[in-house]
Amino acid sequence: MEVPRLDQPVNFHESVTSMAISALWWQLLHFKGLVQVFLSSHYFVLFPISNKFGYLKMSEEDVAVVGSSSQDDLIIQQHREIEKEISDRIQLVGLKESLETVENEYLNDEIYLKKTRDLGTKYENIRRTRPDGNCFFRAFGYAYLEYLLDKKEEYARFRELAYQSKDRLIKLNFPKFTLEDFHDVFMDVVNVVGKGPESSEELHRMFNEQGYSDYVVVYLRLIASGHLREKEDFYQNFIEGNRTVVDFCSQEVEPMYKESDHIHIIALSSALNVGVRVRYMDRGDGSETRTLRHPLPQVATDHVVIYSKLVERKLR
Amino acid sequence: MSTPARRRLMRDFKRLQEDPPTGVSGAPTDNNIMIWNAVIFGPHDTPFEDGTFKLTIEFTEEYPNKPPTVRFVSKMFHPNVYADGGICLDILQNRWSPTYDVSAILTSIQSLLSDPNPNSPANSMAAQLYKENRREYEKRVKACVEQSFVD
Repeated sequence: MEVPRLDQPVNFHESVTSMAISALWWQLLHFKGLVQVFLSSHYFVLFPISNKFGYLKMSEEDVAVVGSSSQDDLIIQQHREIEKEISDRIQLVGLKESLETVENEYLNDEIYLKKTRDLGTKYENIRRTRPDGNCFFRAFGYAYLEYLLDKKEEYARFRELAYQSKDRLIKLNFPKFTLEDFHDVFMDVVNVVGKGPESSEELHRMFNEQGYSDYVVVYLRLIASGHLREKEDFYQNFIEGNRTVVDFCSQEVEPMYKESDHIHIIALSSALNVGVRVRYMDRGDGSETRTLRHPLPQVATDHVVIYSKLVERKLR
Repeated sequence: MSTPARRRLMRDFKRLQEDPPTGVSGAPTDNNIMIWNAVIFGPHDTPFEDGTFKLTIEFTEEYPNKPPTVRFVSKMFHPNVYADGGICLDILQNRWSPTYDVSAILTSIQSLLSDPNPNSPANSMAAQLYKENRREYEKRVKACVEQSFVD
């Protein structure tokens, strides 16, 4: 059992009984038409100190090259090299680390350092996830399943929902043949969680095995997409440009390696009825990270906390 | 060695054999499951009718997370097919979904033959003729159809 490192007033632990995930992410989308920037955002999943779990950190880095043809072979090749370098360096989901390791990354950055220290009063550990564009989905999946290891009732609810989700998605015209494949693998992982806390190592191993881990990500993406499609009339209002919900899903939700935005998070957390708390590390005033909770008020508990950070660097 | 991509390709192949879509066929090459040969028959009631167009499909270990590279080997005259046989089709690029399998890819390309998208041309001459001189377009396509018997 981990011991809190700092004595903080209880009110820091806004949801003592729950695990919180906070995610910081950003999308190039928001920068359309603005200055040229390199963006790289990091995602983390955090667990409150009061919780016996560690934190899960997701991290995400993306280099956006603005102003030239993205089809250019050289750029594609460079992207591949960057991807490879990242995948050699960072596990799909890392082991628990102390939040001090994050602090140490920002020793020269007053604002981030202050905010990281503040996180350190609330969270004890962090897990990094590979910055491959899937980090929100992967961190969500890992954090929530890890949370469920010792929550029999909640697990039973989720397992039933996961089991039923296949038929719902088939009704939405997802191809049955391939959907079944993803669903089967997803349920293999979910079933491991049903064996209880002793299967935590197996869960960690599966999340670091591309064959399982990516299939879980694909399936979570399909669940999010299915939710958006089911509530098309509502979500249409939140989609920029002249795209339909179906266009958005096929371009931004279903393809792998596409970064997540608010709408992905809301869709997934609503579809599964899982509370997500996102801690945004940004340049704003104050010593605390901005926090958003999803889905909106219906879900009282934060099951997962994700921490997400955006780094902006001007090109010159 | 079985990897997720190879396992999935075996599944795709099995499905293609058990439940073959009309007018397309495909199979892995003899010694490499990552490279497939495929044939698309020109759809009825289009200028491509009667053609047998050969393609290669190259997969990476990232399949099905990333789409394969699909190319016509047969000479093609089509607004969305490049001179080297490369295909400009959204589901093979930014609309790729891991839920697509080989069968879905081939049937999508087949329907691209029936319904070209002249607004995002890979062959600007074909796109222009398709829009402005359908008779000449069909003539050029028919020449490809005949060529496809010989290849």
